[in-house]
Amino acid sequence: MATLIVALIVGAILFGVGLYGSLSQTNLVMIMMGVELILAGAMVNLVAFWRFLHPEAYSGQMFVLIVMTVMALEMAVGFGVGTARFRYKGSVEMEEARDLKG
Amino acid sequence: MLQTIFVGLFGIAAIWFGVVVFTTSSMVRSALALLFSQAAVGAMFLAMQTEFLGVLQIMMMGTEMSIMAIFMVMYMMDPGGLMGMDMTHQKRISQVAGVLGALVVVGIVFLVGWGSIAGSVPPDQQVHGLGIELMERSMLIFETAGITILTAMIATIAVALERRQ
Repeated sequence: MATLIVALIVGAILFGVGLYGSLSQTNLVMIMMGVELILAGAMVNLVAFWRFLHPEAYSGQMFVLIVMTVMALEMAVGFGVGTARFRYKGSVEMEEARDLKG
Repeated sequence: MLQTIFVGLFGIAAIWFGVVVFTTSSMVRSALALLFSQAAVGAMFLAMQTEFLGVLQIMMMGTEMSIMAIFMVMYMMDPGGLMGMDMTHQKRISQVAGVLGALVVVGIVFLVGWGSIAGSVPPDQQVHGLGIELMERSMLIFETAGITILTAMIATIAVALERRQ
């Protein structure tokens, strides 16, 4: 039980750090880093639930694979938007961004 | 007991490097800190006897963060952190939201009765079980993930392409 609790607490703190990062940063790349940490926290929880509560249900591992895919997609689409933004405005500072129109 | 210690140690490393991401002023250091944080999460998976996902996490995040470091140096106004630029806003609200969010989740962890702890599954059985899951019950989800990746690739290229006037 102790290992499950430790893993869940680590997941919760990673979520908190990621939430702080994604809310406080003004740069698109740094905001994405915050979101990555939130998703890492979610993955730690999912693996802990699968391993310690239901190791017979492999859909838990499947869920982690989907979260990993979401992480990769979030980065790819984010950098696509970042590239477009940098091309038209010369910066990826989100303070100046009011809409996604180039 | 040993498992708890290792999960805790790797967890502290993941949190520490996660904090460093937002406290260091050098963008390269920031990207490397996120890489180490994600690698520590992968090591936690290994400590929790989830070998396949642990190795996958370390390999995937290693590649992902290396690409991220390149983009950070390309797009940041002060990648070396030498000009001392402050790239944050609404700091107080963000701190409160982060601490409150973490505390609420920790509270839930202690309030919920988690039931009995299951025994571990050997690595070869895990890979076999996951393979069967992917090819049977979760086949549609797996295929949808593939199509989503393809869609995202096309959308990303379309968004990033230079438009001709």
